[in-house]
Amino acid sequence: MAQNINPHYASSSNPSKQNEDTIKLKDNHAVSKRLQKELMELMRCADKGISAFPESENLFKWIGTINGPLDTVYAGHKYKLALEFPNSYPYAPPLVKFITPCFHPNVDTCGLICLDILKDKWTALYDVRTVLLSIQSLLAEPNTQSPLNQQASCLWANQGEYKKYLDEFYNKHKDL
Amino acid sequence: MAETSEAKPSPSAPGGDAGGEEEKRDERMLECNICLDTARDAVVSMCGHLFCWPCLHQWLETRPSRQVCPVCKAAISRDKVIPLYGRGNTKQEDPRNKVPPRPAGQRTEPENNSGFPGFSFGEGFHMSFGIGAFPFGVFTSTFNFGDPRPSPAPRGTAQYEEEQFLSKIFLWVAILFVLWLIFA
Repeated sequence: MAQNINPHYASSSNPSKQNEDTIKLKDNHAVSKRLQKELMELMRCADKGISAFPESENLFKWIGTINGPLDTVYAGHKYKLALEFPNSYPYAPPLVKFITPCFHPNVDTCGLICLDILKDKWTALYDVRTVLLSIQSLLAEPNTQSPLNQQASCLWANQGEYKKYLDEFYNKHKDL
Repeated sequence: MAETSEAKPSPSAPGGDAGGEEEKRDERMLECNICLDTARDAVVSMCGHLFCWPCLHQWLETRPSRQVCPVCKAAISRDKVIPLYGRGNTKQEDPRNKVPPRPAGQRTEPENNSGFPGFSFGEGFHMSFGIGAFPFGVFTSTFNFGDPRPSPAPRGTAQYEEEQFLSKIFLWVAILFVLWLIFA
């Protein structure tokens, strides 16, 4: 299970920190156990339109994909996201960002997402599945009150124009 | 692993195909909502959600100011969870020194409503004296049938010991007082 160590802690071998490290390793074990459970669950009953899998041998970094929700301007689009789990998961939320550039009122140009459940509304009950489903529904229902992308927020009211710009944007960036 | 892995009996749950699936579902009913594993040192919140005590404790520690149930976001606290004691799991418990022990179960005696509450000489011996305005004092100390006394503290607790001690002291004070009245 040595590869399932949060890279942040994997390199420390200072003897004075050894006790601290064993505690962290124990925590790490609990976190990877939970992540394994989530992975099993995701594979057992895959939801339509979302998927996720660890990036490599390291369980703390996953790649997720979201299909744009049907009957919205995002229909037919496919977005890749990076999920990074902190050592304190599931007590703290994972870091989630878009890898595929996403034109959306609540996603900034770096792919960072403004979503309450990834911040103060997080609870330990949420998992990869619910996070991805929430982001999928955020695509369909943006919060235009506190936008990260001003342009997208202004354009949202005009769905025709929005769709046109979005498709252009998506086709230009999807292969990045 | 494909989607069909559902039908495969898991190595941890022995049994036939159908039985294993059934068993698995039963097991999932008893999973902690935080670690998604079978709840260990299980506690249940007032809102009815099951957790491992170490998991819930850590959840409460991470947000001391806003303690809510991870499932339904109802108010939750250390004192408001009930431990679940299964059969025969007390011995094999791992004495974790980092995690505080889960709160003990609270047992309250049922309210005792039979007979005169003022004359219950059985479980807890109660005695009251009225010194003051004579006739009224007698009334208040003797004819207080209406309001039941608070039920005695359960045997063995510190409060019970204290009450026993106090009632003995008052008994002696009363005896001395009566003797003084007779001989003075």
